[in-house]
Amino acid sequence: MPDDDHIIYLDNAATTYPKPRGMLSEMVDVYARLGVSPGRGTYDLAAEAAGIVSEARSQICEFFGGDDPERVIFGYNATDALNTVIQGLVKPGCHVIASRLEHNSVLRPLHSLSLQGLITYDLVPFDEAGFIDPSDVARFIKPETTMVILTHVSNVLGTIQPVEEAAGICREHGPALVLDVTQSAGVVPIDMGRMGVDALAFTGHKGLLGPTGIGGLVLSRDLDVQPTRFGGTGVDSRSLLHTKTYPERLEAGTLNLLGIIGLSAGMRYVTERGIENIRLHEMQLFKRLRDGLAEIEGVTIYGADNLDKHVGVLSCNIDGMDPGDLADVLDGDFRIAVRSGLHCAPLVHEDLGTSPEGGVRFSLGPFNVTEDIDEALSAVRKIATLR
Amino acid sequence: MGEDQPHTTSVRRVYTINGRDVVVDEDGFLVKPEAWSEKLAEILAREDGLTELTEVHLRILRFVRTHYLTNGKAPLNSELKKAAALTMAEIHACFPGGIRKSTRRLAGLPNLKGCA
Repeated sequence: MPDDDHIIYLDNAATTYPKPRGMLSEMVDVYARLGVSPGRGTYDLAAEAAGIVSEARSQICEFFGGDDPERVIFGYNATDALNTVIQGLVKPGCHVIASRLEHNSVLRPLHSLSLQGLITYDLVPFDEAGFIDPSDVARFIKPETTMVILTHVSNVLGTIQPVEEAAGICREHGPALVLDVTQSAGVVPIDMGRMGVDALAFTGHKGLLGPTGIGGLVLSRDLDVQPTRFGGTGVDSRSLLHTKTYPERLEAGTLNLLGIIGLSAGMRYVTERGIENIRLHEMQLFKRLRDGLAEIEGVTIYGADNLDKHVGVLSCNIDGMDPGDLADVLDGDFRIAVRSGLHCAPLVHEDLGTSPEGGVRFSLGPFNVTEDIDEALSAVRKIATLR
Repeated sequence: MGEDQPHTTSVRRVYTINGRDVVVDEDGFLVKPEAWSEKLAEILAREDGLTELTEVHLRILRFVRTHYLTNGKAPLNSELKKAAALTMAEIHACFPGGIRKSTRRLAGLPNLKGCA
């Protein structure tokens, strides 16, 4: 049994841990020096804090291939960003397309709007390998379809979706393409312009290696999103109308400066190490994990065949064992942290036939090492034998 | 109707134990945690496929319940393991209804429907 201080962390799809060395100290140092309201005063400190935010917008815009740093909108996380863009794009009577791979951060806003009678929506299915068929998007498009929302990578299966094909269909038929890059940002190269994405929702605390509580949107210059929250922006304060210009149009209230500093530091680490290098590292570990699990009798793996279109996320079950128990035994007896249950993506598990218990998800990060995988395999082997 | 045979109201079930009605929700968790008794734990345990609650089961359940009443939350895996003096795999073997689900349900903790 491992010692109590050593943890093998394989829940990076929830939040990457640990963070790059130096990120936290940079957050503390910069915030200690400049932790005032960015862009809300005329004194130098406020201007310097605003400069940090402005530089972060440029960094994010470049990272995702956006066309205007002013179209980088900060929020709490991807759920917050998705709510902003979904509620800001829908109009009464409109139709939306998403997929059955989506997280509740998409499903619940759509369901809520549907219950209010404001929209209708259809969900594109996924195949046994864990991929949507872009032609299904075309099949569901109606004249009143205003938006297609797709996850770039399934948070349960780790499969990279054919976004560019879907974008082509959207361009042809008119709806905006909103991409949820929660699981892909920092692991899969993303270029909004080249991919044909109109809006992209990201979170800071996963592959971008930032802290929790910071995320946002990157919008193309051609897309207008109506504000659904209103308040102080530091711009044109005399007017009771909310600011119309971006980014303030979609940012009400003081920004999370501490989170922005951390996000910027995390993204800098990703850029310096290289997205391709991080993915290569994670996929080498993923292959070792997948192949090892596949050899254990009683283990069922879901959607992990196509390594070229995958990130380091693997879901599985041991026959006859509640995934919650498997996760608890891994934690309690082996100090291995994984995520069990439905992963906030209930329709994925419904279609896999693993609902309501769900599965156990192993998700790899840039700081995992081969020994982590070997210890996880050894633990699962022991648990599977005990059944 | 026998004492440990529940009747249902909507999705809830009601057991009559020592002349008092005890209500559990659709997942079999007590609606009012203070209504717990070892007799109820025995009845719920049978539904999980346990023919009897041994001293080991009861030691675990009493610890989970006391921890909840003292701290307002279920114990961590490490706390449970230490108190039970068993591995998690052994605790799993004791509770066919699941470590988390069964120990909390049988110990009369509320149904938190935790993030899944």
